[in-house]
Amino acid sequence: MSQFLDILLKIWDYFATNILTQPAYMIGFIVLLGYILERKPLYESIAGFLKAVIGYMILMVGSGGLVSSFRPILTGLKTRFNLTATVIDPYFGQNAVTDGLLKTFGRTFGDVMLLLLFAFIFNILLVRFQKYTKLRAVFTTGNVQVQQAATAFWLLLFCFPKMGRIEVLLVMGVILGLYWAVGSNLTIRYTQDLTDGGGFAIAHQQVFGIAFVSWLSDRFKAHEIKSNKKARRLEDIQLPGFLKIFNENMVATGILMLFFFGIIMLVLGRPYFNEVYVSSKGASGLVPGGSFLFYILTTSLSFAVNLAILQLGVRTFVGELTESFTGISDKLLPGSVPGIDVAATFAFGEPNAVTIGFLFGALGQFLAIGALLVFHSPTIIIAGFIPLFFDNAAFGIYANKRAGAKAAMLLPFCSGLIQVFGAALISSWVGLSKFGGYLGMFDWDTVWPIFTVLMKFLGIFGIIAVVVILVVIPQLEYRHDPKNYFLMVTDYEQYKKNMAEKKALK
Amino acid sequence: MNILVSCANGSGTSLMMMKSVQKAFKQLDLPITKIEHTSLAEGKSTARSYDMVFTPSNFVDMFDEAKAKGVMVIGVKNVMSDKEIMQHVREETDLVK
Repeated sequence: MSQFLDILLKIWDYFATNILTQPAYMIGFIVLLGYILERKPLYESIAGFLKAVIGYMILMVGSGGLVSSFRPILTGLKTRFNLTATVIDPYFGQNAVTDGLLKTFGRTFGDVMLLLLFAFIFNILLVRFQKYTKLRAVFTTGNVQVQQAATAFWLLLFCFPKMGRIEVLLVMGVILGLYWAVGSNLTIRYTQDLTDGGGFAIAHQQVFGIAFVSWLSDRFKAHEIKSNKKARRLEDIQLPGFLKIFNENMVATGILMLFFFGIIMLVLGRPYFNEVYVSSKGASGLVPGGSFLFYILTTSLSFAVNLAILQLGVRTFVGELTESFTGISDKLLPGSVPGIDVAATFAFGEPNAVTIGFLFGALGQFLAIGALLVFHSPTIIIAGFIPLFFDNAAFGIYANKRAGAKAAMLLPFCSGLIQVFGAALISSWVGLSKFGGYLGMFDWDTVWPIFTVLMKFLGIFGIIAVVVILVVIPQLEYRHDPKNYFLMVTDYEQYKKNMAEKKALK
Repeated sequence: MNILVSCANGSGTSLMMMKSVQKAFKQLDLPITKIEHTSLAEGKSTARSYDMVFTPSNFVDMFDEAKAKGVMVIGVKNVMSDKEIMQHVREETDLVK
């Protein structure tokens, strides 16, 4: 008997060392599991496993590149000005967690993949029992799930550094699974309005933000009706053609990185990078006598290069992850909608709203970054393309649809300010800023910092408080209109009729 | 048919759209030889080597060059709707006899 147990332990040990703690194989394993559950043919399952592993390995190449081009700049800012530069971007944020997890908490990134699995299973369970939970949406956006699992894992460890491995996974699995289900669920009503019954929810990084912006827009609208003002529409505005270049993420990232890192490198100055060249024995830095201008250009653009490599990796394994996840959730969950990428909303409504949201968000972010510099904040935020574009463009679309031009300008502008200040505060506090990145999307600059404060200061009661808050939200939503609550998902046409009748009665 | 599906970032939306396109083509009984999803930045450069491009309707004009070269470019509003995609294929192309 004891021999048998020994063998079992050995097998478990081997599995833990080579798969559980190795994120590439962990992702592959999850995909394989999903495909086997879906009864896919063996050759497809193996292909999926390989693609997922290779995808993650590609991600690691990009990730290593980012860290090595960033390091001299980070070190320079730290030693010369005692400043920390943090890029707010989901991929940089994931990178910072990968980079710092072992050094800070002695945990491995493989656990993040396990957390993702736990949270996803919990999300499915919550929707499966929607009779009681009132939840109607499943999070299917794999790339976002990886980024959020990484950041959430970090936040929980920051609050409870001594918590055991299994406990962390269970507690955060519940909280993150709830956040996914509740957050996506909040977007259903507004997204169905926007897409005229498109049949999906949003599963991204600003789901609470979308609900909040839509709610505020409705207040705007009510106010305008009361004061008898005619709302201007964005449809009447002609935008200059050059803004089209921001549609391409590589170009946009290149421009942003050149702008921010160009300024930082100019401030650090040529001699510093010559020193780096000497101290690193020519591995990085600027050759004495080399062109400083082109060195800045190359270094800044290499961020865009590594980000592209990293994203290619993510695309490769997420394709498989989503395939296996949606297969499982489609089978199990009638009466629910998939939560998908927020970019799916960009084709609805007014194309101008995307650009206007992006521009006003950028204005807010740049002003906030300027304020950080003026007030000598120890953490300087560098604007990343994804929070800038995806959050604020989405807010622009929802606001314009519900309340017209004014809301579509003002709300993304405020969001830009909040993104920078919120990210600066939370990333410095939890110690992610010194690894050069933070997720930085709207919900993670607002809702999650609040959760973190609750858990840090109230301990176990904080965990309970967060869970209760999340559980109550869908119940309140349901109370608001029980008759039509499930109808908007199952039979949108009937729901529309009911809503029209309601309006006529008012 | 070689098909490219392209969205802003190339990960979330285009993946969902790719699945919808596959569903639609299956129902229309049209064969797909190759189908890939990419970001707009990549898609703009490679669109020429495909027969068809699907992209969210607000990005259709990004593919004007490919269109001039004879690639069928189709703007899709609801990425989750295979019905909408079938309708586009019926109305905008002569693939369905």
